Amino acid sequence: MRFAAITVAAAALAAVMPFAGVSVYAGTLVYYAAYYLVLGQAWNMMSGLTGYVSFTHGALAGIGAYTAVLAINGGWPITLALVAAVAVTAFASLVIGVTSLRLRGTAFTFATLFFQELLLLGVRKLPAAGGAAGTTLQEILPTSLPHVLMVLTAAGATIAFALLRRSRTGVRLLAIKGDEDAAAAVGIDATRLKIGVFCASAALCGLAGGIHALFIASLHPESVFSVDTSIVALAVPLIGGVETALGPVAGAILYVGLREILQIVAPSLHLVIVGLLILLVTLFLRDGIIGAARRLLQRRRTYRAALETAR
Amino acid sequence: MSCLEAAGVRKRFGGLHAVDGVDFTVEPGELVGLFGPNGAGKTTLFNLIAGAYYPDAGTIRFGGDDVTRFPAFRRARLGIARTFQVVRPFRALSIMENLLAVVASEGALSRTPEQDALQLLAGVGLADRANDPAGSLTLGMLKRFEVARALMVQPRLILLDEPLAGLTDGESAMMLRLIESVKVRAAVVMVEHNVRLALPLCDRAVVMEQGRVIAQGTPAQIRSDPAVIHAYLGDTPEGG
Ligand SMILES: Nc1ncnc2c1ncn2[C@@H]1O[C@H](COP(=O)(O)OP(=O)(O)OP(=O)(O)O)[C@@H](O)[C@H]1O
Ligand SMILES: [Mg+2]
Repeated sequence: MRFAAITVAAAALAAVMPFAGVSVYAGTLVYYAAYYLVLGQAWNMMSGLTGYVSFTHGALAGIGAYTAVLAINGGWPITLALVAAVAVTAFASLVIGVTSLRLRGTAFTFATLFFQELLLLGVRKLPAAGGAAGTTLQEILPTSLPHVLMVLTAAGATIAFALLRRSRTGVRLLAIKGDEDAAAAVGIDATRLKIGVFCASAALCGLAGGIHALFIASLHPESVFSVDTSIVALAVPLIGGVETALGPVAGAILYVGLREILQIVAPSLHLVIVGLLILLVTLFLRDGIIGAARRLLQRRRTYRAALETAR
Repeated sequence: MSCLEAAGVRKRFGGLHAVDGVDFTVEPGELVGLFGPNGAGKTTLFNLIAGAYYPDAGTIRFGGDDVTRFPAFRRARLGIARTFQVVRPFRALSIMENLLAVVASEGALSRTPEQDALQLLAGVGLADRANDPAGSLTLGMLKRFEVARALMVQPRLILLDEPLAGLTDGESAMMLRLIESVKVRAAVVMVEHNVRLALPLCDRAVVMEQGRVIAQGTPAQIRSDPAVIHAYLGDTPEGG
């Protein structure tokens, strides 16, 4: 597994940054790339493989964030708080999944949009979660902790995606995306697989959200459940390339870089430009940057081979 | 015990009785030809047997179990496999992945799915295309590929919907040999418009028209049945 080795090496490098005297600014950029990479891989598992588009992966991370903060403020140790973040988020995803993934087509997508709005409304009205004012982590933690955890989670998510894509389960998910009737005709239980992968994908978002709460320390419903994060979660794989483990890696790095530039050049246009980028990539590259790069390499290889034989 | 027993099945689309009270049985190891003009309800009957639709009335028993309300994937896992009139590969997946996506029927779980798949692909002359995307194959290849994918289910009953449609003469000959070899593994129901080529392979033939069975019997009986000649065989050029 050369791919896993490279991923682990890259993660180790990124993880030691806070301890190696790298500037806080650079460390923060790497942290956000890792955070969006986890969300992007989670989206890639569900929507990239099955074709059922989710607009709620950011909100799922928000559930994880709120769960972690409430648990830690309630006196739970951090490990248990993160476990709770995963469990609560996975359970919440079952509510969406069981109701809408039995159906074909766009029901799921609408359910995720609805869920996103419903959560924001609900959390704003919930006194236990701090209501509209939000809530703050009472414990003060060094940011190196969430940094290391997020980078490791990102590496784990990337390797997990690569393994899933290669497994028979991954192939079955792609079969569902291709033709759900034909998939059923060869014995694939589409409903169960869709719900299962959505739940796993949500668990990953819950973990990322829980870790992210340690990083930002204060949660406001408007920003935690903003649809912006959900759009980033889908932009990252769509720009980089869905169905591949490397796509979201390229997408996350590009997105974080782009956002930095845009914050200086055109701060209010940032999501518009991301939307435009998704449009351009899907129109002209189809399978994202990684897909296009692969095709280019392939073409050069065939060209070289043709040159060899011509000689 | 019969392999398949459909009794009194009906399926309506709006006001149209696509399948209008059909009794249809298949014995283990049998190859049954299902014939009839366009719109007779043959594909709809396949969809009812495979579970793509549920019937409005009637029961479907498979291997003695009542599967009338079983979803399609569950029937596949019991051992009903099919091909489609218009081929339906998973185009983005390689041929090999298409076969690996299959969930083998219960009790037929294999420890070596890759080897099984390669063997089946060799059997349909596609071993060298295993790693090509399914979308890159010709129609003739895709028709044979669908038979291999259906066999990957390890079925007890296989439904072939117009396996010869759109094939060249050479490809048809290859497909007919393939169907004969499939018959050794499972009971077969074959829908075909090319009666001249298909009928000689059949142990038994059933003829449908307007959602009903109008005749059934041995190939010889079917050839000389006046109702069949009137309804179907007489009108089609390949029918002679
Ligand atoms: N999903 C559907 N919705 C509405 N009508 C349908 C549907 N499927 C089939 N029909 C109609 O039911 C009738 C039977 O169709 P079916 O496809 O079963 O015929 P067939 O015997 O397979 O014909 P062919 O030889 O042309 O394939 C036709 O009139 C067809 O138009
Ligand atoms: Mg038909």
